[in-house]
Amino acid sequence: MTGWLTSRLLQSLAVLLVMSVAVHGLMALMPGDPIDLMIASDPHLNAADAVRLKALYGLDKPWGERYLAWGTQVLKGELGYSRLFAKPVLEIIGPAVVNSLILMGSALVLSLLVAVPLGVTASRHQGGWADHLVNTISFASVSLPTFWLGLMLMVLFAVKLGWLPAGGMQSLSGDGGGLLDSLRHMVLPVATLAITGIGQYARHTRAAMLNEAAQDYIRTARAKGCGPGRVVWRHQWRNAALPLVTLLGLEFGNLFSGALITETVFGWPGMGKLIADAVMGNDFNLALTALMLATAMTLLGSVLADLAMARLDPRIRLR
Amino acid sequence: MKARDLPALLGAVLLVLLCAATLSAPWLAADPEAMNLGAIHAAPSLSHPLGTDELGRDVAARLLNGGRVSLAVALSTAVLAALLGTSIGLMAGYRGGWLDAVLMRVTDGVMALPLLPLLIVLAALDPAKLGIGDEARSSEMFMVGRMVAIIALMGWTGAARLVRAQTLSVKTRDYVRAATALGASPGRIMIRHILPNVASPMVVAATLSVGNIILVESALSFLGLGVQPPMASWGNMLTGAMNVIWSAPDQALWPGLAIFVTVLAFNLAGDGLQRLLDPRR
Amino acid sequence: MPRLTSLLLILALCLTASLPARAKDDLVIGITQFPSTLHPNLDSMMAKTYVMAMTARPLTVFDAKWRVVCMLCEQLPSFDNGLAKREKTPDGKPGVALTFTLRPDLYWGDGVPVTSKDVVFTWEMGKHPQSGVANGEMYRRILAIDVQNDKTFTLHLDRLTFDYNVMNGLLPIPAHLERAAFLADPAQYRVRNGYDQKPAQPGLYNGPYVITQVVAGSHLMLEPNPFWKGKQPQFKRLVVRAVENTAALEAQLLSGGVDMIAGELGLPLEQAVGLEKRADPRFRVIFKSGLVFEHVDVNLDSPILSDRRVRQALMFGLDRQSMNRQLFDGRQPVADSSVNPLDGVYAEDVPKYAHDPVRAAQMLDDAGWKMAGGLRRNAKGEPLSVELITTAGNRSRELVSQVIQAQWRKLGVDVRLKAEPPRVFFAETVTKRRFPHLALYAWISAPESVPRTTLHSTQIPNAANTWAGQNNPGYANPAMDKLLDDIETELDATKRGELWRQLQHLYATDLPALPLFFRADAYILPKALEGVEPTGHQDPSTLWVENWRWRP
Repeated sequence: MTGWLTSRLLQSLAVLLVMSVAVHGLMALMPGDPIDLMIASDPHLNAADAVRLKALYGLDKPWGERYLAWGTQVLKGELGYSRLFAKPVLEIIGPAVVNSLILMGSALVLSLLVAVPLGVTASRHQGGWADHLVNTISFASVSLPTFWLGLMLMVLFAVKLGWLPAGGMQSLSGDGGGLLDSLRHMVLPVATLAITGIGQYARHTRAAMLNEAAQDYIRTARAKGCGPGRVVWRHQWRNAALPLVTLLGLEFGNLFSGALITETVFGWPGMGKLIADAVMGNDFNLALTALMLATAMTLLGSVLADLAMARLDPRIRLR
Repeated sequence: MKARDLPALLGAVLLVLLCAATLSAPWLAADPEAMNLGAIHAAPSLSHPLGTDELGRDVAARLLNGGRVSLAVALSTAVLAALLGTSIGLMAGYRGGWLDAVLMRVTDGVMALPLLPLLIVLAALDPAKLGIGDEARSSEMFMVGRMVAIIALMGWTGAARLVRAQTLSVKTRDYVRAATALGASPGRIMIRHILPNVASPMVVAATLSVGNIILVESALSFLGLGVQPPMASWGNMLTGAMNVIWSAPDQALWPGLAIFVTVLAFNLAGDGLQRLLDPRR
Repeated sequence: MPRLTSLLLILALCLTASLPARAKDDLVIGITQFPSTLHPNLDSMMAKTYVMAMTARPLTVFDAKWRVVCMLCEQLPSFDNGLAKREKTPDGKPGVALTFTLRPDLYWGDGVPVTSKDVVFTWEMGKHPQSGVANGEMYRRILAIDVQNDKTFTLHLDRLTFDYNVMNGLLPIPAHLERAAFLADPAQYRVRNGYDQKPAQPGLYNGPYVITQVVAGSHLMLEPNPFWKGKQPQFKRLVVRAVENTAALEAQLLSGGVDMIAGELGLPLEQAVGLEKRADPRFRVIFKSGLVFEHVDVNLDSPILSDRRVRQALMFGLDRQSMNRQLFDGRQPVADSSVNPLDGVYAEDVPKYAHDPVRAAQMLDDAGWKMAGGLRRNAKGEPLSVELITTAGNRSRELVSQVIQAQWRKLGVDVRLKAEPPRVFFAETVTKRRFPHLALYAWISAPESVPRTTLHSTQIPNAANTWAGQNNPGYANPAMDKLLDDIETELDATKRGELWRQLQHLYATDLPALPLFFRADAYILPKALEGVEPTGHQDPSTLWVENWRWRP
């Protein structure tokens, strides 16, 4: 177990290293550095300005040198300043991570709370009307485009009914603020993400439950006279949860990389928007730190998923 | 033929109908690129059964023609990504050891790889330098091929992890052990004994991804890598509808419905496929 | 389970309860971009210009009538009032000395008066090679500054142009707060400056408002500057909220999340037209067409388009009037050249290209492109086929390019459309002149700004000049070069007007770019808000934010 963890940790470090090279390289490969874009938009910039600015931002050096410079700086524990926001990188990423975790964590919990009972119910009445209903809900959920759903919820609840705010994290006028105000602002974006997530989890729960229902041990349990509820939750669900745990492991990294579309539509200042802006703005320090964080969390998610699987399924041993 | 197979049959029939309708679009509907600036956002009428769009083009014609690209991309990408993901997940889970470690870390890496810079680099690549001429470049085949490649190469990771997890669990079950003891080859065990048992998460993941793929296609158009105007696709019709959501909210209805029906058909057919693969049937 | 349900219901009721009506003395402005850095002189970005115009003012600006006026100074220097004097630069070229006097009632937000020292510090910072100022042009033009006293100083400029007294880029920054940070490490100043580290220091600002809160990616809050002695602003608090998605921004407006939408960074025209047509009694929409020039750059190195007759024929084949009418509700005036009809130097008699397909066909025939089966070919049998590239994700341009394609197809011209992400488009395709035929995009300029960078033959981007210069068509015409040089140094307005007329004629005849429209911005304001005056050029309406009032 300890050996397994150590080796996983080493592997993850290797992946992180490869990813940092890949991401840095991709960003450097992107056509047009910030100075090129400034030249394209400001007619007064001349050749001398371009040379001066490129030297100032270190863009005149070859790529390898720039990567090494970044790497040594990070190893020394300095994440540097964001070029776009002219602030220390962590000062920018900190609030964004918190905002994304709040948004995506609530949405994940909500969609699981709805989806798992739906999926289990559907599997117990396979082919019945409940099954068809759950399936239709699931298909609708996965075929709804996030941006469209978000806007529609906004049209209905914020504009037509006026019950909820259309975006942002708090009211900006009068005496806005406070917990209730923040909760009100969460409802629509969380609902948008949760609704589009329900279908996936419900279908996977249903499929896993059906898969287990046909296994011998369930028949044995039934034959031994276990009540249906007990069979479903104690035996079937325990094993059916495996694919869900894997899915959740996949989802873990996403919690830290945010939801670009939902964040943009609802003006929620989270990681999705931040990463996109940093990458597009060639903000190397910011983009690399944010993406390395997201990668590390994805790797951690997969470690956690494997650990959880081993606990849930005694037949799996981690070596 | 049992009653429970009916939905699967329905799904298959729906899929065939959708394909047939979109393939015969040139004979069924008007010219999808014919503009009429005098009749922008016209209401449904006899000549335009679903009305017109923001350039006065026939929505029905665009829906049928756009479906060709969307369905082709969705079908091939879903299948390709599922095949890729399943083989990788199966290998990793069954073989274990260093192969598992390498494959799964690659999966983690691909999953965490930021799509945006990659796509921008791709968008800046000049296909002419790869020996692809102007004619070929603007052809439907090239466009669809490029999109399928991009989406499939990014989309196999979820399936791989699901299949691997399931494989780890299945390979310790008694019947697999029995088969191993009887001297069956690893390939045979993977295909005959494990694959059918890991099929359900795979099929679910693949069929559910269809709706998403159609939408990702429209995001690619935003970077100039997807379907280019004036050609239509369901994805870009829907994105276009977002821009006019306040003045013509009904524009999203038809492409949205088309995507829903497609997802429905794929999933019903997928359920059937799953039962077909099920060894306990 | 039932208990949980009822709990959820109660929570839901609480959440949907309406909040009390908005207090009247604040105003929430919606824009589509969040300003990343706040230092006024470092790099330029519309969102920053818009916000900072409420808090920090430049020496001079163009007003809503497109005239140069003083913002911080008492009187605009001119040769007539004696504040401008001709002189020779040290290397013997004609130069000019301008004497400015700062308004006596100008204070930074911490009560320290704004003085000549601040102007000198700003200039020293701006011309320092490591300070990170993007546009060094203005600071390079100032050779020296003589300080007469706390409020009066003289600038010595290295050249004499007709717009010698335009100092719109000179935004003083407070020496008493910023000098130490700059001198400590000039190369690090771009990240260590007070505007980005501690933006809520009132002493950084000299306008009617100071910034009190910045929430990255979401909003900025501003409150009145207690030491502002000019016209007192009415709003006790201004909030600028950034919402990038314009459909969501409209939802914010309709649900009361924002009170108004800025025209400078607001809804696309089509969307604003839709909003106006729905006639919401709460809002009024002001459309202002201005100096954003939508055009199609022509790559003059292309064998097909190097023939002027083909370019003219393409112009006659375009029906821009009906595009404007059908797509933009007639709000977006057709452009005849790069000079806006609202500009004082616009020439009424410039050649205009009305839609004339017959003439267009005739011209293409004359140029050797004969119709054969719906497509024109030349004597060698090559098809008349061009590629039109534009920025991906810009809905208006996407629509316009599709209409252009349809209109030219009727002429027998095959048009292939291509869209690229803006950064690929601007950094590679356009500036590096990699578009094979046509590129559709826009320029924004100031009133009577000489189009030297876009038309002069020395401004054609190439590897040697690190792709600086905006003459992307590759237009080289000695007559045009001469006109540009002459206009810049002609101080007599009448004579200059004549030169401008010739320039517009040459432009409309040679067509280095195909003019399309002057983009219109839509200002969406609450019915009761008065005093917002759109400018239609680079200087935003917020430069006069103290005039904004609720109608009594």
